[in-house]
Amino acid sequence: MKFTPEISFEGGRVKPLHYDDIDALYELYQHPEIPGQRPLDNKEHLTRMVDYSVQMAATQRGMMWAIEVGGEIQGMVSGFDWQPSHLRIMMRVDGLPSLSDEHRTAALSVCIEFLQSKYHVRNFGYQWIEGQKPSITAAIQALGFQPAAVLRHAWRTGDSTFADVHQYHYVSDKAKPVPKRLGDDDNPGQNLDAGVKH
Amino acid sequence: MNWNFVTDNFLIRLPVSETDGAALFNLLRQQSVSDHIPRLALAVETQATDELRRIAMRFETREAAFWLIEKESTGELIARVGVQHINWMMLNAQLQWEFAPACDQQAIQEFIPAIIDFIFTELRLHRLEVRVRSGHAEQKDILSALGFDAEGTLPSQFEYGGDDIHLDVYSIISQK
Repeated sequence: MKFTPEISFEGGRVKPLHYDDIDALYELYQHPEIPGQRPLDNKEHLTRMVDYSVQMAATQRGMMWAIEVGGEIQGMVSGFDWQPSHLRIMMRVDGLPSLSDEHRTAALSVCIEFLQSKYHVRNFGYQWIEGQKPSITAAIQALGFQPAAVLRHAWRTGDSTFADVHQYHYVSDKAKPVPKRLGDDDNPGQNLDAGVKH
Repeated sequence: MNWNFVTDNFLIRLPVSETDGAALFNLLRQQSVSDHIPRLALAVETQATDELRRIAMRFETREAAFWLIEKESTGELIARVGVQHINWMMLNAQLQWEFAPACDQQAIQEFIPAIIDFIFTELRLHRLEVRVRSGHAEQKDILSALGFDAEGTLPSQFEYGGDDIHLDVYSIISQK
């Protein structure tokens, strides 16, 4: 079964996490861009993360994509804290220093479009944490995210140090989905391979 | 750690599932006490019993703690206050409350700071947040008087009564 699609964008593509990508993901996790995060020291954790990425997508709790540019993994797009019944999700992009803002937003944009069209998610949140690259805020606002709140000291960076979290939201103006009768949907699990004979 | 404590006029205590159902139902059956959340009032007493069971389970995992606030002189239940979504790594949590109509600003000013002090001193959390229905003037006044700062508005957090609910966020930061 498949729940996370490959999607192309100008200059690259997003794709599901795969065990073959663990070395590249490990390199990504050596460059954490969130303040207070340390480089990952145990590669084994990434095997579990790939497992979780499938489970989270299957149960509509989250979705994770690798960002591939020029044939190399340069980042990840993550959707987490997914609330299907409230049609909202939090998004995040983690990138290598080499990931450009253009590719960052293009990757984020195609993932949002997928979640909108496939799952009818309407409300996308994004948290920029004080200390991250400042240009990210302008990049996500160009996608339609609006500043919503500044959560003071909401991110812990050390034993007794904290950073403010700037929360942005993009709320789609598309109509909400109309509930169907139970049983009308023949693919309730949203398996992208539902028509594939194995 | 003792989770029950007193102020000059109020007893602040964790609920007892077997005995507090009727009092909690009497509080939460009034729609006005939870309009700011917003949440529907309870319709039957069994819901209060279920709520007490959920409170007990959430407390077991230290995910949340809810206190009943009683007048020491009469034992009358005048409020329920909860700390929930406790994030022990980030040291933050959300406060939520329901005040009976008889609970005035003077009373609130006595027991809420005591609860906040308990959370900052005993639980050693750093940030406490309150989310209320956007534009709720009465809650805004209460929060302002208690020293909470407005941080913004989170749009379309859920549906209630056919409306998209936006939530105003307020917080207070520990100075300890």
